[in-house]
Amino acid sequence: MSHLSTINACKLLLFRRCLQAVLLTVGIQFVLLTIFLLFVNFQLLRPLHWITSTLSLVCSFYTWFASIPLIGAVVLYGVILCQQHLAERSYCASRFRWLVHYGPRKLLFLGAHLLVGCLTAWLYTGYMHTDYRHLWYRCYGQECISAYHVYLLGMGIFAGCYYFVSVHMRQEVEIEFPIVNYCWGEKLRELLYSSMARSLFKSLVPTLAYTLLFWLFGRVVCHRLSHLLAVDLDERLEGFFGVATNGRLLFYGWLLTAQILSNMHLMRCFYSMFLSEEFPLAVTKNRAPFVQEKEVTVVAALGLTNDYVVQCLAAKYLHNLVTTGDVEKRAELFQLTEPGNRPANWRALCDQCLTLLGSFTDELIDSMQKISVLKGSPSSPPLAPISDSVSASLMAERVLTRQYNQMHGIRPMVSPGRNALIDRPVDSIRRVPNWCERASMQMEQSIQLLINRVPGIVYLFTEPEGAKTTFLLTHSLTLVYVVQALSQICVLSLKEDEFGVVQNDLPDIIKAISRLKGELDKLSSVASNLRGPGSSFSVLRGAVRRSLFHICISFGDYIGDLIPSREELHQLQTLLNQE
Amino acid sequence: MAGLSNLKQCPPFSALSDPSFRPNYTTELSSYPKIHLKSELHNSSAQCFYGGQGFVPVNEGVLKRIIRTFFEGGFWESLAETRSQTTREQAPWLGRTGDYISQLLGIATSLKLKVFPHAQDVSADRIAEFVETRDWSDSDVRFMAWNCHIFKLAVAGIDDVVRIYTKNTNAATTVLKSATQTQITCMAWRPLSATEIVIGCSQGLCFWVVDNTMILGRTNAPSQIFKHPAKLPITSLQWNKEGNLLATASIGDRSIIIWQPDSGRMEALKRLGPPGSLLKWSPGNDWLFAGTVDRVFRVWNCHNHWSTERWTVGNVGHVQSACWSPCGRFLLFVSTTEPILYRLQFVRQTMLKSAKDEKEVLPIADLNACSIDENKSLIGGPVQQLAWDPRGNYLVITFKSTNHISIFRTFITKYDLQISASFYLSGETASEYPSFVCFQPLYKDDDQTVLTIAWSSGRIQYYAFD
Repeated sequence: MSHLSTINACKLLLFRRCLQAVLLTVGIQFVLLTIFLLFVNFQLLRPLHWITSTLSLVCSFYTWFASIPLIGAVVLYGVILCQQHLAERSYCASRFRWLVHYGPRKLLFLGAHLLVGCLTAWLYTGYMHTDYRHLWYRCYGQECISAYHVYLLGMGIFAGCYYFVSVHMRQEVEIEFPIVNYCWGEKLRELLYSSMARSLFKSLVPTLAYTLLFWLFGRVVCHRLSHLLAVDLDERLEGFFGVATNGRLLFYGWLLTAQILSNMHLMRCFYSMFLSEEFPLAVTKNRAPFVQEKEVTVVAALGLTNDYVVQCLAAKYLHNLVTTGDVEKRAELFQLTEPGNRPANWRALCDQCLTLLGSFTDELIDSMQKISVLKGSPSSPPLAPISDSVSASLMAERVLTRQYNQMHGIRPMVSPGRNALIDRPVDSIRRVPNWCERASMQMEQSIQLLINRVPGIVYLFTEPEGAKTTFLLTHSLTLVYVVQALSQICVLSLKEDEFGVVQNDLPDIIKAISRLKGELDKLSSVASNLRGPGSSFSVLRGAVRRSLFHICISFGDYIGDLIPSREELHQLQTLLNQE
Repeated sequence: MAGLSNLKQCPPFSALSDPSFRPNYTTELSSYPKIHLKSELHNSSAQCFYGGQGFVPVNEGVLKRIIRTFFEGGFWESLAETRSQTTREQAPWLGRTGDYISQLLGIATSLKLKVFPHAQDVSADRIAEFVETRDWSDSDVRFMAWNCHIFKLAVAGIDDVVRIYTKNTNAATTVLKSATQTQITCMAWRPLSATEIVIGCSQGLCFWVVDNTMILGRTNAPSQIFKHPAKLPITSLQWNKEGNLLATASIGDRSIIIWQPDSGRMEALKRLGPPGSLLKWSPGNDWLFAGTVDRVFRVWNCHNHWSTERWTVGNVGHVQSACWSPCGRFLLFVSTTEPILYRLQFVRQTMLKSAKDEKEVLPIADLNACSIDENKSLIGGPVQQLAWDPRGNYLVITFKSTNHISIFRTFITKYDLQISASFYLSGETASEYPSFVCFQPLYKDDDQTVLTIAWSSGRIQYYAFD
């Protein structure tokens, strides 16, 4: 299967899943509406009437027609969410680049949030008490704008905005594999219960914050609206007590916020739930001539570097295959081709996994060069040569101090300029720039300094320290599964690999994992200072350590034969004998 | 019950004639650490002494004291402080208010208990009722755990300290203690790691990294602490074999929680019914046995969408102990009400696979107490703990009311399990009884099977099988 057709097959499958998620989110709108109506129309003394009237209201034509705009907005929301999930994850070095790359998309998504919030509020107000139902009403024989309705519409917009800011503004949408893989119905039930219950508490703060804002600026907004619509002003919600003492309004506002927050949370979870379902992949590539291939192989899916979700799903599939899958399916990994007797499946998989591991480690090393306080990092400045003018004992002391500082990540309090001047070797012939070059260099430096002093320039246009490392670690889920699967295959090969196809690659696998472990160990001292990837780093480091340990403990007696380098062997033995 | 294997067939260890059935004392055991916890408990370094105890108390006002107690110890401690004698003397009205609040809360609690009978307070006595350690409240050794890959034995003592023993007798014993680690009920070394151990206690889960960076064999604090979502004590925990998931149960909570400690995430396995008390993950991670504080127990199928099968034991009581066979095809368990050993089989015997795989609980051994010698000393009765050796040849059973350990030989075939009483072991004195037993994992294929016994005297004994 060609690369292009693999991409198309994967995208088609993901598109189907997104479609399922869209349909589910549309269906859930009616469930949420029913729950809202059950709350709003609660009648303690006539429970049967309460339920039947609510259900008849949900099934009425009015509801079906009135909910069309909301459903349209939900579909739009779903399309944007789906696009965010499937878009290529690219690294933006500076905040400016991030704004250029993600800004329009985020703005569009904010718009979708506001639209869903506003339309939910508009639909739900239609079922409330008469005072809250319409934007204007008759007061003293004249048309007046209803402050209650304005409050509730604003509440919807505010809730949408609040959810966007708190969840989506800075973070990217991430696929999250469930710890406990329940069946579909149970997942849905759990999700509904937990999000409904949680949103009831989470909506308290935004409701109060919005109420405070409405008390401060609500009158201005109502005034503008009344001018715009050429109607009179409503004075029912004037003053602090006007707002704070209206229990029913506050209750409606709170309930509406809870509904909107849980709706958006549910939509996010549905997409994650559908996309994280197991991907139907094949281990063996169909080599028969003139056969229309339909199945995507694990190796091909792992190779889709620009499709993070597919890579994650393939890695997860591989992990499941080797940890929980049946032996027959797993045996395909160690199979030889017929004719030819070549371990084609293993060769392709091993190469792909090692490429992924290697490229990730290389990128990580590159990114770590930019972290100044990294212990023992190659980025640390090399030791300067010793000057003749300083006594040997003083020099030795200085070298030892410098080594100690480098080892423990201690930076000098003063700039190294003066010392560097002392220690710098004197060149016998040195080119002196002419006055023109000197002037241009000075000018360049001063302009750079001047620009750096302008507030916001550094913030916007420079790369924050460790940003690339953070990005890599945040997107390391594929590596977590690949490393664990690879180590498990190595261990299983002791019993299941009857042709010995894995053993030739063991040294390379151990070296690749060991190299990554070494880099992650270096990073461990600064990981807490990096923004964001705390748990991603722990997950990756834990997986790498355990995988290496698993291989080493399983091949304990042969590890010396596998790794000829004494230094590497010593490192592995240290890992095993941490007593 | 006539056909069941029983303890009357059990000869004493000294009377065994067949040498193949007699355990051997090997020179290998001489290099094992010699542990007598009682003497170590008197060691000053292991005394429970935490930072706050070093300060001299000062006189403070009643309200200030109550508020401070609230922030330090929470609502219930501040209520107890309000009702204390000192407060009553200084401000009688506060004491009376405290009494009223306490009465109101008492009514609410009794109502809640009527609706949810299992939602009782999780006191130490209640914990002792459900853990596998005999006389947990007063036992010197509360739990033992062997590292899965290298020679390291963790022993949790009554002083809330966990000591790590290695083969190197010259090295100082590593000590894990923290103010956030009291009333230890269970612990487990993390699979595929030589250094990580998790301890289940009243405060939740304490994760420690026991490596050579520990200064003078001690570290100040756990590397991570996870609290139960409902702030309940953890009474049972088990790692899966890959060491990335940790299952925990608490006798105050109906859910079993599956943690992913590296990412800090967790998910609850929820079912209606009594709270969980005991967890045992099958060796292949296919099944998770979950006992509860009532007669219900469940077996979760981890690979089939975590579906669950519900079982009950008798009319009253609960599952006291359970263990999986090393092959993962058989589960043995005993309840608190009857001294019968049951087995549950997880392999189909029929040629045709039916859509619904019906399993059957079968009694396989009668463990009723019987006299074993002329002195009329008894063996058997209600079971305290089961332990199956890693090769699947020996099953060790300890009892709640009698002091001997009975050893059964087990023969596992693909579809069947046979069991026969082999011999029994006794303590050094007649009053010495086993508090906790566990098997050392096999680190190499030719390793001997070693049983580790923590006796009530604080002595830890190693017993090598053939």
